[in-house]
Amino acid sequence: MSMSFDIEVDAAGLNCPVPVLRAKKAISGLNSGQVMRLLSTDPGSIKDFEAFCRQTGHALLAQEEHEGTFVFYIRHH
Amino acid sequence: MTKRLSGPERRASIIQAAKRLFAEHGFHAISVDEIVKAVGVSPAVLYRHFESKDALYEAVLSEFASRREDYVDTIVKSDDSFAGVLRGITRIYARSIAGEPDLLRMELHALLDGRGATQVFFKYRWKTFTDFIEFSLEGPHAEANRSPVDGRTAGLMFLGMLREALTDKYLKTESRLRNTALDELVDAVVDFFLAAVGMTPGAQHKGDDDE
Repeated sequence: MSMSFDIEVDAAGLNCPVPVLRAKKAISGLNSGQVMRLLSTDPGSIKDFEAFCRQTGHALLAQEEHEGTFVFYIRHH
Repeated sequence: MTKRLSGPERRASIIQAAKRLFAEHGFHAISVDEIVKAVGVSPAVLYRHFESKDALYEAVLSEFASRREDYVDTIVKSDDSFAGVLRGITRIYARSIAGEPDLLRMELHALLDGRGATQVFFKYRWKTFTDFIEFSLEGPHAEANRSPVDGRTAGLMFLGMLREALTDKYLKTESRLRNTALDELVDAVVDFFLAAVGMTPGAQHKGDDDE
């Protein structure tokens, strides 16, 4: 699946909380409606980003996995 | 005859008993028979809930580990400073041990037992700290205005201090830290660490927004 995005964060190889921290910082630089694409290899990141979006109000547009890498598309609220 | 419990209640009672036994004796020394004897049920009942002793052990670990949402919550609410985030995640971890010191006992047993899978589980818990510390102290994301520090050594030092503090307070019979409040202990460890890596505790060190 290919979705357009405004910023990409590569957090591969890093464990919670670093992907979430990087997501927070990256998203804070976006405007409302813009999309961040984030890569993570931490299997727990699925739950992390569900919680992150729930807590911040940003939208988890899509989530996919390719050979151990998880890709998240999150839209600034 | 043991009181009849519902499925979830029975599962919980097995987990509680197993946790106590694993914490005291380690994985290898405890048999399914001993666990079911402590609970007061037959092995068949245990196997209805857990596929194996391994599966039960994993369930005990999962039950008591800090919830990921708590870490996410602390990040979302933090001021994004290295000190603020470190203090937040350390508090969460420390509170999970305070609530369940048996988890720390299980970890120490795992190191001696040589159980690879369990060691990986605990390694991932500590990786929360080492990844964060190494990521923050080194490389392009390191915060400005500081002299370079070896992130890996800093991580080792932090884990050593934190683990020793929690082991002392929650596992030792005679603990000097008995009357020290947990948050105060966490603050002492975090502040000392910040000073050691050249940061002033409490100062706002915002990272560059270079993403």
